[in-house]
Amino acid sequence: MKTFLNAFGLILMLALLSPSLSAQWPSYPTPGVPKGPDGMPNLAGPAPRTADGKPDLSGIWSNIRPPAGQRGQGAAATPPPPPPPPPPGTPPVATFRDVGAGFKEGLPLQPWAAEVVKKRMADNSKDNPDAHCLPMGNMQFHTHGQPRKVIQTPGMIYIIYEANSGLRQIFTDGRTLPSKDPDPWWYGYSVGKWEGDTLIVETIGFRDDGWLDINGNPLTSAGKTIERFRRPNYGTLEIDVTVDDPKAYTRPWTVRVNQRIMLDTELIEFICEDRDATHYVGAK
Amino acid sequence: MKRNALFIIAATLAVLLCGISSQTVFAHHSFAAQYDRNKPATLTGPVTKLDWINPHARFFMDVKDAGGKIVNWEVELAAPAMLIRRGWSRADLKIGENVTVNGSLAKDGSNLLNAATVTLSDGKKVFAGSSGGDGTNP
Repeated sequence: MKTFLNAFGLILMLALLSPSLSAQWPSYPTPGVPKGPDGMPNLAGPAPRTADGKPDLSGIWSNIRPPAGQRGQGAAATPPPPPPPPPPGTPPVATFRDVGAGFKEGLPLQPWAAEVVKKRMADNSKDNPDAHCLPMGNMQFHTHGQPRKVIQTPGMIYIIYEANSGLRQIFTDGRTLPSKDPDPWWYGYSVGKWEGDTLIVETIGFRDDGWLDINGNPLTSAGKTIERFRRPNYGTLEIDVTVDDPKAYTRPWTVRVNQRIMLDTELIEFICEDRDATHYVGAK
Repeated sequence: MKRNALFIIAATLAVLLCGISSQTVFAHHSFAAQYDRNKPATLTGPVTKLDWINPHARFFMDVKDAGGKIVNWEVELAAPAMLIRRGWSRADLKIGENVTVNGSLAKDGSNLLNAATVTLSDGKKVFAGSSGGDGTNP
């Protein structure tokens, strides 16, 4: 019976840790995972560190979902319940649908921006760039259910997002942000620096028509984001994102994104084939 | 032998648990822009083609309409990466296989369905979980 329980525990843990049962790359052990006395991965163990002593954020990360809403119900259905209140002092958790889901009074939208969100929701989000095989913004990438791979190198951190094959570069080599009216980019221009064990990433130079979530909360070319990345233990990545966009919001606001490590797995190719645009626009 | 049997039971349980654990289904497009929850439909017939592509896998099937005429329907599924992480593979649906699909009809009245369940002729359900979550459902 003990063998049974051991086997069950082992496989259950592997199954939960590694959801890719039939991924294209066969399961392959992630190196350097801290182990408990039982030989099992100890995700509460210490975060790895790079040669210069900084936390190493590298790994494949999965967005931790807020508690279940309703499975199999679309936008017409009642919105899912809000996520549970975070521990005191932590920002509210962003969701893929509504980055401001944790704000009782909603996001501090400028009047025009509130109108934009209203219209985008009334249109069933049909103009969401993601719905047309165009890139998601950094916030949608953070909250999306498909995994992302962080590769931390000296001077540069890359994040490969499985969803829509997004690729982001965060320069940590000491350079400063472009100062003179940078050409607008989907992902903007990002530089990062360490403050203790927290990586602070500042990003500017966005396009003027960004969508932060399915509801269409906007991000404009006047916007700046500050992301604070922490890896408090081996299995956890916390990202606090501050959006400072005076054109769209009356004040800066901050949300939390929680991610957990995925072991022994890999990203799956996702090339969006928009074979028939009208198919995705849909409703007549 | 007994130990092996127990191990297999444990493995099966674990796989089942994994299969039903909360895996997110993400709609690439807006489900509500294209499909109508209030127009459920059930289709039965043989599979004619499977496209294992992003942003949504899809297959085509021949269905007899009310007048007995064969009509080809397109059935939309979740993204291949989602289906793979749920334990499905493109080999689970074979051309010529008779399937029954429950789902939601397209708003524009075309022969297009968003699948909620796909049931094979032997009763096995495959590809459970459609692209209709709009990104909010776990």
